[in-house]
Amino acid sequence: MKLELGYIDIRDIQFSTQSKVENGVLYVNKQEIEAVALGQPHIQSAEAFLARPGESVRITPVKDVIEPRVKVEGPGGVFPGVLSKVTTVGSGRTHVLRGAAVVTTGRVVGFQEGIIDMSGPGAEYTPFSGLYNLVLKMEPEDGLSQHEHEYALRMAGLKAAAYLGELARTVQPDEIRTFETDSIPEGMKKMPELPRVAYVMMLQSQGLMHDTYVYGVDAKRTLPTLLHPTEVFDGAVLSGNCVSACDKNTTYHHLNNPVIMDLFDRHGRELNFVTVIITNENVYLADKERSSDWTAKLAELLGVDGVIISQEGFGNPDTDLIMNCKKIESKHIPTVIITDEYAGRDGASQSLADASPLATAVVTGGNANEVIVLPPMDTVIGDLAYVERIAGGFNGNIAPDGSITVELQAITGATNEMGFNRLSAR
Amino acid sequence: MRVFTNNPLVQKKLSGICEVCCFDVSFLQLLIKVRDEVHKGSRLLTHPLSGSVKPNETPYKSVLLTSPQGKIDVLSLELIESSIRAAEQFPIRYPQMPDSVRADFQLIDWTLLQSAL
Amino acid sequence: MAPVRIVHYINQFFGQIGGEEKADFAPELREGPVGPGLAFAQALGGDAEIAATVICGDSYFNENIESAKKEIIEMIRSCQPDALLAGPAFNAGRYGVACGAICEAVKKELGIPVLTGMYEENPGADMYKNAVYIVPTKNNAAGMRAAVKAMTPLLLKLARHEKIGASAQEGYMPNGIRVNFFEQQRGSKRAVDMLLRKMAGKPFTTEFPMPDFDRVQPAPAVKDLSKARIALVTSGGIVPKGNPDHIESSSASKYGCYDITGVSDLTSETFETAHGGYDPVYANEDADRVLPVDVLREFAAEGKIGGLYEKFYTTVGNGTAVKSAKKFAEEIAADLRHANIDAIVLTST
Repeated sequence: MKLELGYIDIRDIQFSTQSKVENGVLYVNKQEIEAVALGQPHIQSAEAFLARPGESVRITPVKDVIEPRVKVEGPGGVFPGVLSKVTTVGSGRTHVLRGAAVVTTGRVVGFQEGIIDMSGPGAEYTPFSGLYNLVLKMEPEDGLSQHEHEYALRMAGLKAAAYLGELARTVQPDEIRTFETDSIPEGMKKMPELPRVAYVMMLQSQGLMHDTYVYGVDAKRTLPTLLHPTEVFDGAVLSGNCVSACDKNTTYHHLNNPVIMDLFDRHGRELNFVTVIITNENVYLADKERSSDWTAKLAELLGVDGVIISQEGFGNPDTDLIMNCKKIESKHIPTVIITDEYAGRDGASQSLADASPLATAVVTGGNANEVIVLPPMDTVIGDLAYVERIAGGFNGNIAPDGSITVELQAITGATNEMGFNRLSAR
Repeated sequence: MRVFTNNPLVQKKLSGICEVCCFDVSFLQLLIKVRDEVHKGSRLLTHPLSGSVKPNETPYKSVLLTSPQGKIDVLSLELIESSIRAAEQFPIRYPQMPDSVRADFQLIDWTLLQSAL
Repeated sequence: MAPVRIVHYINQFFGQIGGEEKADFAPELREGPVGPGLAFAQALGGDAEIAATVICGDSYFNENIESAKKEIIEMIRSCQPDALLAGPAFNAGRYGVACGAICEAVKKELGIPVLTGMYEENPGADMYKNAVYIVPTKNNAAGMRAAVKAMTPLLLKLARHEKIGASAQEGYMPNGIRVNFFEQQRGSKRAVDMLLRKMAGKPFTTEFPMPDFDRVQPAPAVKDLSKARIALVTSGGIVPKGNPDHIESSSASKYGCYDITGVSDLTSETFETAHGGYDPVYANEDADRVLPVDVLREFAAEGKIGGLYEKFYTTVGNGTAVKSAKKFAEEIAADLRHANIDAIVLTST
């Protein structure tokens, strides 16, 4: 399977009478994009804002971050099974507005967190402070259930991203990268001497606000299965997860999955990147047993020489991570796991809720309990109420000058467990 | 099959459908009650730290377990012990909470449990 | 910025007093740098000065721990330094323990930053790495230059009360405190690098060592206690009165094995504890409280157990390195296996 990604670099974003991409500037017609969001049933109001790197802007509570993409050649369309037909994606050509994103904000439940600061110390911890963001603040109809509300926000965000992605269709990309993996026998023939590697991608799947969708299917109702690595670049996997801001995988993370990117970087030279195994993080213990048995079984069937496992979330998923690691290692397949830590504010507590001596190779995204002071911002997009009261912080965490003291866990993407960031801990 | 919970919503939703043991206790105290049941031979059916909402944010927790089966299930015991240890290291940080937020936490806990039913 | 004042602690060997024959050398305060202090002084340049050096013999320190600590702390206090540097001790066990103990005490008593260095397998490292910053060094003095280079920047940072980063950045031994920092590469790239090394059988360093899982499978249950010969083993330091083998009150380097043929009760006239880590009054009054010879004799008489083995093994668990304890246990287990013992009652304090 071969996919070309045509990257169009976005260096500014502006409101304009006509939506278009020109000379690296993303022009957005405010009314049109608000209308796209309002077209989603049960959205009562939608307001678009711009947030650029370096600006004194705070966005919270962040629901999702989505990179605008459009399929220009090959079967299917972006976000298959949700916005496009379920046709298998991951081949042909896709254009990407690199450096731009749609950020959705809206309060589904009262305790939602997730902060993106576009400047200041908090900006260093979130990758989204470096993007030209179109922020959609949306309110639902009265009396809407939390399930319907979450769905409406999720869909409106995807539609807005698709709307912006469409602007990239005929633009000449600044860079084209080709990603290609082979069938199993072809790959072995082509690269007989290279170690064969699979990537086990764990998907959050615990329930409302803790869900992930694969071709539109709720991941908690799935069994572990295989994906071509390029399928995720077309939006085969998307986020319905609104909790644990620091270590949730947004749709942007899935579209730019860093493990897949970095395995492709070494593919054909130092390793043979065979496939992606997706699995879930269910609440029911029998599901955990089954799913981890299956990931190990698939890894063994594929006969790979090594596996990288990434995670999403805290607590319950630690158990899945360790089960996957243990069972794959027990098949004599070396693993590296990527996680983050909750070691307490002083860094002295036990970091993971579960552990195993077989987990000898761990990459960490840092201690999510570390405390950070965020200075006040000129503009707040969204709603600070919860952040100021509780999330990642504590009672009385607002200083007289308006700065807030929070733990890193309140910052969107700060301790990502796909290894998206440079933040780590020792 | 039994549910141990401190969430009144779960009690409301499941009473008459299955055995619900509802206690007016903290998140941590509920986990300790679950541990006592594991000591008596119950096996855990759901993860005690289900949900990525931290144990010091949500006051609510529901855990699904079997009725006592005579013999201690070591895996269940390890899981509940490590969950208690993890929960203990999160200092409680919701001294006051509006009723609407409380209701949201109850709902999330219920949907997490529901995903296993 | 005025140069920071540092006091340097070294042993008799590095203080050029002499070797093992001079290990009982009592603490002495000298002005300025001595021995390895000269290399540190040079590396520190104008940023800091080694104002004084305390030299103490390794035996003197380890045999008079409490009084030696007091003497040394007073010497250091009199210099009013900004920081204490100790060692590096490389793989010298008693020197490493002394460096760790002095650093811990000075940090606590004088409230100034402290730094030492030693080989990772030096028993002092295990004992003190969570209490004070310890920089890992080579296992012998040939690593002095590298040690000076690694320790100097951290020493300056500490002395100036600058923020100390993660162990991987600053070069100290991981101390159980997790500290965030920004790596050069993102996590996914580090994961791929780590996997390539792991698959190739090359060494790699995990970013999060799993908690210590030194678990021992329980032995199968004793089928018939009434026929079982039982031995007593303790880390509670019970020894014949007078401690004939001089088992140390802490950081024991040995264990003892004593005959209790015909002894049915341990009394204050015959037995005592060598342990320095708990109030010894009750153990000295009646050592059966730690090593229950009396009860086991009763059980044997009643036929509840087959018999009590005529020797018991004892050591002091107080600060004793895990490595030493393992070695003792292996030898004791081999002896007991040879004696066809069916079960052991292990007691602590």
